[in-house]
Amino acid sequence: MTLRPVEASTATGTAEPSVTSAERAGGRRPRRRKSSRARSQAWAGYLFLAPWFIGLFAITLGPMLATLYLSFNDYSMLTPPHWVGLHNYDKMFTADDRFVHSLKVTTIYVVVSVPLQLAFALGLAMALDKGLRGLSFYRSVFYLPSLLGGSVAISILWKKIFGTDGIVNTFLGWFGYHGEGWVTSPDTALWTLIILHVWTFGAPMVIFLAGLRQIPRDLYEAARVDGAGRWRRFRSITLPLLTPIIFFNAVLELIKSFQSFTQSFVISGGNGGPVDSTLFYTLYLYIKGFKNYEMGYAAAMAWVLLLIIGALTAVNFLMSRFWVFYGDEK
Amino acid sequence: MKRILAATALAVVAVSATACGGGDDGGSGGKTKLVFSYWGSDSRQKLTESAIAAFEKKNPAIDVEGDFSDFDSYYEKLATKTAAGDAPDVMSIEIRGLAEYAGRGALADVKGKVNTADLDQSVLKAGQLDGKQYAVPTGVNTWPMIVNKDLLKKEGGKMPDDKSWTWDDYIAASQQMTQKSGEQVWGTEYNENPAFLQVFAGQRGEPFYANGKVGLSEQTIKDWWALLQKIIATKAGPGAAKMLETGTKPDQALLATNKSVYGSWWSNQLDALSKGSGQDLELLRMPKAPGASASGMFLQPAMYYTISSRTKHSAAAAKFIDFMVNDPEAGAIVLSDRGLPTNAKVLAAVKGKLSPADQKVAAFMDSIKGELSPIVIPPKGATEMEDILKRATDSVLFGKAKPDDAAKTFLSEANGALTK
Repeated sequence: MTLRPVEASTATGTAEPSVTSAERAGGRRPRRRKSSRARSQAWAGYLFLAPWFIGLFAITLGPMLATLYLSFNDYSMLTPPHWVGLHNYDKMFTADDRFVHSLKVTTIYVVVSVPLQLAFALGLAMALDKGLRGLSFYRSVFYLPSLLGGSVAISILWKKIFGTDGIVNTFLGWFGYHGEGWVTSPDTALWTLIILHVWTFGAPMVIFLAGLRQIPRDLYEAARVDGAGRWRRFRSITLPLLTPIIFFNAVLELIKSFQSFTQSFVISGGNGGPVDSTLFYTLYLYIKGFKNYEMGYAAAMAWVLLLIIGALTAVNFLMSRFWVFYGDEK
Repeated sequence: MKRILAATALAVVAVSATACGGGDDGGSGGKTKLVFSYWGSDSRQKLTESAIAAFEKKNPAIDVEGDFSDFDSYYEKLATKTAAGDAPDVMSIEIRGLAEYAGRGALADVKGKVNTADLDQSVLKAGQLDGKQYAVPTGVNTWPMIVNKDLLKKEGGKMPDDKSWTWDDYIAASQQMTQKSGEQVWGTEYNENPAFLQVFAGQRGEPFYANGKVGLSEQTIKDWWALLQKIIATKAGPGAAKMLETGTKPDQALLATNKSVYGSWWSNQLDALSKGSGQDLELLRMPKAPGASASGMFLQPAMYYTISSRTKHSAAAAKFIDFMVNDPEAGAIVLSDRGLPTNAKVLAAVKGKLSPADQKVAAFMDSIKGELSPIVIPPKGATEMEDILKRATDSVLFGKAKPDDAAKTFLSEANGALTK
């Protein structure tokens, strides 16, 4: 596309990507008169952007504002909403044990599965970085679970694998262990979901792989000459230079896993069972809104989730100052 | 910027206007267009489509569009459409959703619009709320015990006398089956469905619902759990984890895979269970508490046809429902798919066409007619009951909560949902 951001942005009079470094240094920006050509080009720009605008307003911003309004209402969907102020938010934290429970389940899921998944992804990326023959083949194979992991099909497959007569129990049976189904026992169900999440390590792995490729080889050579062992090279070169990538993956995976839904929806049959052991936040939100006809409450939950994720991401960014190392910092 | 916003807004409106345009007013060529929503399996969709075709042939001026989805997403879709002011003209609803929809003004009174004279009047009552006929039952179900006769014979068991058997007899018989088969099959599977508890409580004279609240006592709920625990402890049936795996859909049922001798399901599921099993399944009365005066068993509409209160075509909608419940032609197509027809004339006309399993159901229903409790419509909020009961039951069966605490939790959560 040959859309020129220069015209598009000056037309709105807000953004400044068109300002050259010379102008920035010189301070004053020459006043520009919009030629009719520039203006028509700007319109062309917006025309091209229109699909995105429509998407933003019609299916993102509009519904978001609507949920914000609904979150202050009692709304059953079958009858018009009526205003209840902060009642939904109040109830969430004072009178809803299942809400607190769903928050707990989700937190355990995120705290355990995200670091495990990243460690797994990094380990495999380093193994693949050794200059394996047929690298692109392996990369695709390992990436595959990431594409499939959130799907209904895989969740159903998981249900079978960890079922009473599934592969896992058949295998354990050879060693004399005869247990119940893993996905239908309250003590183990969440862990099967965590394993499922870790298994979708492909996306962060590919990013790690790209990050590893960026690390100058001569650093390793120099370290080796100085007698640094494998662990030392990993600790002192790979890890520090990879911190921006780790940070990026951590933020992304944290946001994504907080919003996990499909796995527990399919595996628990939509109720978060057994005994609420897989009741993810978003699943509870869904149950409240669509099954219990409390759409106002569900809307409030959605906003609380947004705030939680926003706050965690902000903390993540603040913390990053202390451990993330960008190559251009001195 | 303003102009851009205005343009965008216009574009959005234009897009959504075209998107909505399809469903709004009557279809092509002056035909009245009806939308009929229902849930179910593929086979139900095929049956329904041919019933619709038969209706359209008789009423060329009406065009019926079937809006089909599976049960898991059915209410979600229906509520969303109702919220958007786009509710289907004719909606299928099951008994627990009736008070929800009728109570919130989403349904129209069909009295005088649909001919209900030939329908079973006691069942028809199950479509009435506050003196209005909001719904027409499609057919009836009951919650019986089912036994696999072939398997029973093979393992050397005796057919129980279902007029006198007790819960203890049932457990002993099941335990014997598990033992005799060398634990290759289970004596029984069990089901956490509220219908089971309703039968159990009915034998003690306790209704599941009374005065808009749960009518069960703590003791009854705990005794029911004790019954389930005894089934597990004696190995009469499998553990709770196994039941969660197989106990919710009839096609995965242990009865359907010949892995258990006894089990309880809705009577209209006997056909599917029999097909899955390939063996001779028979219906029995539920076991009783010793000395109980009532069987606790009840009839329940499998589902209802209802008319949206906002439809513009209520006459056509009524005509369609009338066809579905009163016309033998529709009956011959739909058969017992939506429960056994309650129109005696239709039932008599199609009896010969019913599958062997459904003929058994018809005969069974006939034989227990005098022992049934009246139908009670669950109050608003009852759609949540199944999940609430399941959660409490599982917490007990998995040893996560003491029965005393779980019974209190169940009652407070259940009553909370009902009074919301």
